[in-house]
Amino acid sequence: MKRLWIASALLVFLLAVSLGNAWYSNSLTQSLAQPLREAQQLAHENQWEQARDLTRQSYDSWNDHHTYLHCVLRHSDTDQILRSFRSVMQYLDLEEMDQYAAANADLISQLELLSEMEQATLVNVL
Amino acid sequence: MFTGLVRTVILYILIIAGIRLMGKRQVGELEPSELVLSLIIADLASVPMQDFGIPLLAGVIPILALLAMTMILSVLTMRSVRFRALLCGRPSIIIREGKVDQREMARNRLTVDELLEELRGQGYTDPSGVKYAILETNGQLSVLPFAAQKPPTAQQLGLEVEQWELPLVVVSDGRLLEHNLTQLGRDRAWLNKRLKEGGCSDPKQVFLLLADRGGKVYLTRKDFNT
Repeated sequence: MKRLWIASALLVFLLAVSLGNAWYSNSLTQSLAQPLREAQQLAHENQWEQARDLTRQSYDSWNDHHTYLHCVLRHSDTDQILRSFRSVMQYLDLEEMDQYAAANADLISQLELLSEMEQATLVNVL
Repeated sequence: MFTGLVRTVILYILIIAGIRLMGKRQVGELEPSELVLSLIIADLASVPMQDFGIPLLAGVIPILALLAMTMILSVLTMRSVRFRALLCGRPSIIIREGKVDQREMARNRLTVDELLEELRGQGYTDPSGVKYAILETNGQLSVLPFAAQKPPTAQQLGLEVEQWELPLVVVSDGRLLEHNLTQLGRDRAWLNKRLKEGGCSDPKQVFLLLADRGGKVYLTRKDFNT
């Protein structure tokens, strides 16, 4: 009976960890995407300096979670996002509105997809 | 992570069902759940081992989930007869009173050639001498001959035979196993005497020394030193 309980507890633990990870990755990507959206709004208003600060804040937050992200996500996905962050920051420095807007939208959608991939949905399972 | 976990559970159940549907002949020595575990686990481990772009957790979580489910199934099969029958199936009687049950053979996808091969392997040239042949849940065919076909035992012949004792290893490749010597109720003096009889002066010269409580000793000297 002890073995049954240990195995059941392990399964419940794994389920709890995976659901916790789904929730955490969702809140993390939202907290990363929100400053990027605000930065784009500021860039539209020609406030490039504030837009750069917000994007840098989001980039630093991404880097702070580097270990966690590498532990739970495919490294190719995290590397792609890192590359996108750097492109966005480059376009911000150049103050190229069109290219910045396209790169930023791409980065936001990548972050959203990353979170979506981890969610406990039937679509993902299938 | 969640997707990986749920997919693991679904695929594990599906493969077990598939193995059960394939019949007893495919199972071999293992239970279906153990067979599935051994089929999947190596593959799951090798993917993150070779591809550094996949996080280790992508392999660890499904493996832990599989081990937990196998443990749960194993406990449930021990506790519930119905569950055991569902998961492992029931033994099928293929030959009864020397007659082959063709329906059971078809149900278990057992061909005539396979049946005859199994019978020949156990020393029977045809089913007429077999009282029961039972296809066990692990895929093995147990053959039980008619009483008249069985070799007589010493008891049936009324013979007095010496009871054997389980021999223990006392010296293995030059190493003396003291606990086995104690278990036999012997001491070093007894051992030294046996060594001397075998032409050895030290356990290091012995490759294998077996002894039982009845006093029977088997000694092999080392041919060369490793």
